[in-house]
Amino acid sequence: MLDNRLIGLVLALAGVIVAPLLLPVANATELLIFALVAASANLLIGWSGLYSFGQAALFGIGGYAGGYLLANTDLALLLPVVFGGLVAAVFAVAMGAMCVRRVGIYFIMLTFAFNQLVYYIAYSWRDVTGGEDGLFGIERPGALLPGLPEIDLNVPINFYILVAVIVGLCFLALLRVVDSPLGQILLAAKDNPRRAGSVGYDIHAAQTLAFAISGFFSGIAGVLYGMVYWIMPIDAVHWLTSGYIVFMVLVGGTSSMFGPLIGATIFILLQDFFSTLWARWPLLFGAVIIAVVMFLRGGVIELVSHVRGFAARRRAMRGEAGNA
Amino acid sequence: MLLTVEDIQTYYGNSHVLHGVDLEVGAGEVVALVGRNGAGKTTTLRSIMGLTPPRSGSVRFKDQAIAGEKPHRIARRGIAYVPESREPFSLLTVEENLTIATNPRSPWQLDQVWQWFPALKEIRDRKGGHLSGGQQQMMVIGRGLLTGPELLLLDEPSQGLAPVIVETVVEMLKDLRKSNLSVLLVEQSIGVALDLADRIYVLNEGRVALHARSEEIREDPSRLDAYLGLSAT
Repeated sequence: MLDNRLIGLVLALAGVIVAPLLLPVANATELLIFALVAASANLLIGWSGLYSFGQAALFGIGGYAGGYLLANTDLALLLPVVFGGLVAAVFAVAMGAMCVRRVGIYFIMLTFAFNQLVYYIAYSWRDVTGGEDGLFGIERPGALLPGLPEIDLNVPINFYILVAVIVGLCFLALLRVVDSPLGQILLAAKDNPRRAGSVGYDIHAAQTLAFAISGFFSGIAGVLYGMVYWIMPIDAVHWLTSGYIVFMVLVGGTSSMFGPLIGATIFILLQDFFSTLWARWPLLFGAVIIAVVMFLRGGVIELVSHVRGFAARRRAMRGEAGNA
Repeated sequence: MLLTVEDIQTYYGNSHVLHGVDLEVGAGEVVALVGRNGAGKTTTLRSIMGLTPPRSGSVRFKDQAIAGEKPHRIARRGIAYVPESREPFSLLTVEENLTIATNPRSPWQLDQVWQWFPALKEIRDRKGGHLSGGQQQMMVIGRGLLTGPELLLLDEPSQGLAPVIVETVVEMLKDLRKSNLSVLLVEQSIGVALDLADRIYVLNEGRVALHARSEEIREDPSRLDAYLGLSAT
């Protein structure tokens, strides 16, 4: 288990180093940001069995809250980033506390409704969100914290490194969450909520806490997203973005926190890379979903266990041949 | 009395299952509920645990009314429920299935469970969904005890198990008797029930049809014939 985790972290680190060499730096930065959103969504989808179609609301609220501070104040960078996370977490508590009381399609519809609610607030509250035009003027302040020396984050690779560090720390924190008793309670509740309640846990409280944590990290990702192109576009809170996030989680795989990282990579390659090569790139979305559903029900991450199983069978067959 | 159940009426939808069940469990006492299939034994346990709350009647635990409370609140009061269907958390390992329930103030900790069931320790890293019926039963009993209960609701612990596993479970339950834990046991096997329990309630069509001390039944097993249709041997 630890070996798998270590291998995953090494591969993720290698990916972070290689990405800006293979992709435009802005696309590589987006990849990291969506990897964080997808991983935080997996706390709900993979660990809690809660198929939320409201993740874009959390992502967007964080982006607008932090982006508003970055556009209108001279605060050092980390304060708006944390503020965006906290505002999203507070909204996530309200959203989660209501949604977790329903299951299945009703849960999905409630999260979808919350997403649309946030979308129309963002659409109509032009003074704060910029409405349909998006929130303009988001700055990338040089200082991370007051008193620290300035780094010019308008240099793309500097900003990429900063995003990599923040996303890396958030991802490690998410790994800690899923290893904690809370992670086990969420898994137990996903498996059998009534039984988990009989063991003495308030399942709704645990799931609401998962929403809050997921919202916090999605909110941070939202603030970083606003800084990539100096604008928080209204599309970021559209339900389609929630759909894309679910796509990333499911295609990458829900059984491991590393799955969504793979899913986000596939998404960015399809959306930002192949779209420049082929105008009909959305067809690839459908093809990928069909391929995963037909052949890799647990997502692309299941390829690892398939390959390991295949290698083990090969070794066993060789051993039998040797004995014969 | 630790647990007092008075005149509970429980329904599944429109189906009236318990028609006024009364029972009591004292501190350190083992009480068995026996009866035919469909008599309402499991429903009685589920009503106490809040999984199928009674529509009327009273359930008191340590002199506090608990009927209508959520299961997790009832569990925190000191009642553990081990269901007939066992219901392991299939996504968690054996060890995680046990530690998820651990209450640091429980007199039973993980080492004690490994002592009772050494076979479980050997498969501690196996997922809960990949266990035999006997292994599941040992695990869920251990899980119940790690919550540190004062009352254990145990539903059909010997159901469908190999005789050697039943023996292990029964020995473990006898061992528990020394610890002042109260047990309300639903059991199909009258032999096991008489072996473990101080008192026996016989349920019939959702009502208590007979209440007696175990030794009274042992002296005259034919008293059960009218309700169970077999001799209590």
